[in-house]
Amino acid sequence: MIEPMMNKNEYTYYLVGNVDDFTERLGRVVRLGNEEIAIFKTTDGRIYALENKSPGPRGGTIAEGIISGDVLFDPICDWKISLTDGQVLDPDTGQVRTYPVQVHVEEVRVGLLKNVGETFHE
Amino acid sequence: MVKVQDRRHLVLIGNGMAGINTVEQILKLAPSTYRITVFGSEPYPNYNRIQLSYVLEKSKAVEDIILNDRNWYLENGIELYTGTTVTHIDTEQKIVKADNGMEVPYDKLIVATGSNPFMLPVPGADKEGIVGFRDIADCQNMLHAADQYKKAAVIGGGLLGLEAAKGLLKLGMDVTVVHLFEEIMERQLDHTASLMLQAELESQGLKFATGKQTEEFLGDDRVSGIRFTDGTTLDAEFVVMAVGIRPNTALAKKSGIVVNRGILVDDYMRTSAPDVYAVGECNEHRGITYGLVAPLFEQGAVLAKHLCGVDTKPYEGSVVSTQLKISGVDVFSAGEFMDAEGLSIVRMHDEWLRIYKKVLLRGGRIVGGVLIGDGKESSRLQQWIRTGTVMTEAIHNAIMGQASVETGNTAAELADEEIVCGCNGVTKKHIVDAINEKGLTTVEEIKVATSASRSCGGCRPVVEQILQYVLGDKYDSAAAKQEAICSCTTLSRDEVVTAIKEKGLITSKEVRYALEWDNPEGCSKCRPALNYYLGMIWPTEHVDEKDSRFVNERMHANIQKDGTFGVVPRMYGGVTTPDDLRLIADIAVKYNVKLVKVTGGQRLDLLGVKKEDLPKIWKDLGMPSGYAYAKALRTVKTCVGSQFCRFGTKDSMGMGILLEKKFERLDMPAKFKLAVNGCPRNCAESTTKDIGIVGNEGAWEIYVGGNGGIKARLAELLCKVRTDEELLEIVAAFMQHYRETGKYLERTSEWIERMGLESVTEAVVNDLDNRRVLAERMEVALAQVKEPWSEILNNSNLRERMFEEISVSTKQD
Repeated sequence: MIEPMMNKNEYTYYLVGNVDDFTERLGRVVRLGNEEIAIFKTTDGRIYALENKSPGPRGGTIAEGIISGDVLFDPICDWKISLTDGQVLDPDTGQVRTYPVQVHVEEVRVGLLKNVGETFHE
Repeated sequence: MVKVQDRRHLVLIGNGMAGINTVEQILKLAPSTYRITVFGSEPYPNYNRIQLSYVLEKSKAVEDIILNDRNWYLENGIELYTGTTVTHIDTEQKIVKADNGMEVPYDKLIVATGSNPFMLPVPGADKEGIVGFRDIADCQNMLHAADQYKKAAVIGGGLLGLEAAKGLLKLGMDVTVVHLFEEIMERQLDHTASLMLQAELESQGLKFATGKQTEEFLGDDRVSGIRFTDGTTLDAEFVVMAVGIRPNTALAKKSGIVVNRGILVDDYMRTSAPDVYAVGECNEHRGITYGLVAPLFEQGAVLAKHLCGVDTKPYEGSVVSTQLKISGVDVFSAGEFMDAEGLSIVRMHDEWLRIYKKVLLRGGRIVGGVLIGDGKESSRLQQWIRTGTVMTEAIHNAIMGQASVETGNTAAELADEEIVCGCNGVTKKHIVDAINEKGLTTVEEIKVATSASRSCGGCRPVVEQILQYVLGDKYDSAAAKQEAICSCTTLSRDEVVTAIKEKGLITSKEVRYALEWDNPEGCSKCRPALNYYLGMIWPTEHVDEKDSRFVNERMHANIQKDGTFGVVPRMYGGVTTPDDLRLIADIAVKYNVKLVKVTGGQRLDLLGVKKEDLPKIWKDLGMPSGYAYAKALRTVKTCVGSQFCRFGTKDSMGMGILLEKKFERLDMPAKFKLAVNGCPRNCAESTTKDIGIVGNEGAWEIYVGGNGGIKARLAELLCKVRTDEELLEIVAAFMQHYRETGKYLERTSEWIERMGLESVTEAVVNDLDNRRVLAERMEVALAQVKEPWSEILNNSNLRERMFEEISVSTKQD
């Protein structure tokens, strides 16, 4: 499914699947190059991509959390994480990295920073 | 802002609750006034000393009672020296010297050295095996002793002694409380109350030797017994001295500060030396030394304000109250408690219900009270005593248990500085400010924001009254009445379950909509709970909501901290075959599992399995899931029993396998463990299981409500039955009754304490019709369960979406 697409916001978007490949309120892991990303689909059909890494003190992954609206409950530490910006909500603090998502004609694309898609983080 | 190095230097000697609470208040009032250094002899940061009895009971770990962890000191720029004892104060040069050679100058000094247990100065008191009960080290000594020795004596029938005794009893020791006076807790209770408490504790297994004065400790190096002045003796391999505490004044005395019983202080906690203060149990104020937590917080509040230059009323002494923190006994005492001239007394003594209530009035005002057996009104009574409230008919009715009458809200009469939550040192003002500033509307929110009522929960009614008082008309009493199942709703478990049945709600979405949830998609608390309640109420109609399951129940494996999983196949009754073992070994090798563990439930756990390998392993194993992750029946632990064992009277393996096969996979409110034993030697440990079955010659004994976990509890005998059929029916009825009345995540050990063993016995044993109907409903529920591993294997769509990752390369051609 290699289909890079240049974008003026300096992101390169990669096709990761079809809207139907994702189930409402059940996270799914996507490995995009070196990145491990958790993709979530909310009840109203919006799709979000976050780094699959718990912001909490005990570590772990977040793809298995419970989704309510656009909030994710971390499966390890039960912190609330906003899907829209990765911000940890009160009373805890922290932030999970997010990736931009484009949905066009049922195709889901996740963006990595341009030019660093290859070398980013590694 | 003044630079840290330019600030005045405040030194605190004593890293306990009194001193640190004072520092906390100083940081709140004027965070940049002082550079702060703290010395503590113990190797721990500040912990909640009043909860040591929980550590002893093993209901809490040491980490759970830490109040300020080391980060807190770092974050607030406090230099902390633990395990360091200050040995001298030079009040002329204003320098403190420590045992490690440190010398630290001070501008202001707080002495908060607390108190020491008073050790009886009788011959042999220095023998091994005689300890006080004061700090974490003592607690660890006691826990250790309970493993090695059987017979314990606790000297002192006061609050501390009884807590220690009850703790040792819970640890399995044979405990005798030795008390100098004829009546226990004679400083807090009158004759009637004291006798009732003693009888109650005796019924729980404690022994008493009252009116006994210790003359000598017997034994060689280690204590072996006690001889009393009346010539009698008592065997004891371990002795806890809890006769009282002595203010720890040695350092102050040596440094030339004026000391009587405690370090003498005035109404602002000033000692005889300039800029030296003493707070808490080490001091003596107006002739009184205190040994309880509330006064030291009140002293700390005055001292903190004084040190920050904030106007404060002088400290004028405290009304102390006592609440016994041991399970199964409600004891409360505050203010005056003995009959005396000039007092009018309201008294109620019910020997059948074993309740005693006494309120003492002087000139119509409430000046003291004692409650035994029913402590529901204790926090309000305490408040009425503190404020000297005039007795009214409404108050009388509230305490003495007449029909519930609105007693009015007395929160307005509480002073701002009054400590509401003694465990966490939270004042009324803290709570009022939090409500106003953060717009709080429930006690739960107050708990999160201020810690009030977080620990023992005793002050919850007062917190609720304050909330009501601050919010006025906006206060929603229904919301506060019963504990809501989560913060999305104000409804309790019972209200939700009733509404689901009455309104015929089938999906959790309908429940949230019909019952007007604040959060339309719920939260991580209510989602799994509603899914459980719906499945329990509508076994044939409800469709399991996978997205509401916790990760382990959704993936049917146990997630580990590195994101890999543990796989535990069924091994019914802990019985396996060479072929199965060989297969498990081959698969462990094939999938390169990191570790194979024999679990506590008599089976094997393959650890370190990658998520995408889970379905493949299940397929290769071809065994059913062991549900090691679920709120469901985990295992049935069995002993060898009559098939092989010389002592076995019953076929425990056969019965265990039968039970595990019958009841596996069914959702329960919480995890559920069974054990079956072939004889009373109990090798499969029935006493710590939700249901423990013990075979006897010709009968089965059924024990219920045991728990070996965080809050240990021994199972109690439910009944004895002759036939296997009766056994199966009663087990089914018990499990179904628990499913229908339990709160989600409530173990049977908590559930049975809430319901009462008698009521459960009536429902599942004695009432034959009800028992049969429960067992029938259980059959309906059991007919719905499916083996989850094969279900996932047979559903490629589900398998793909839940277990398989999508992999995309970023390499560009």
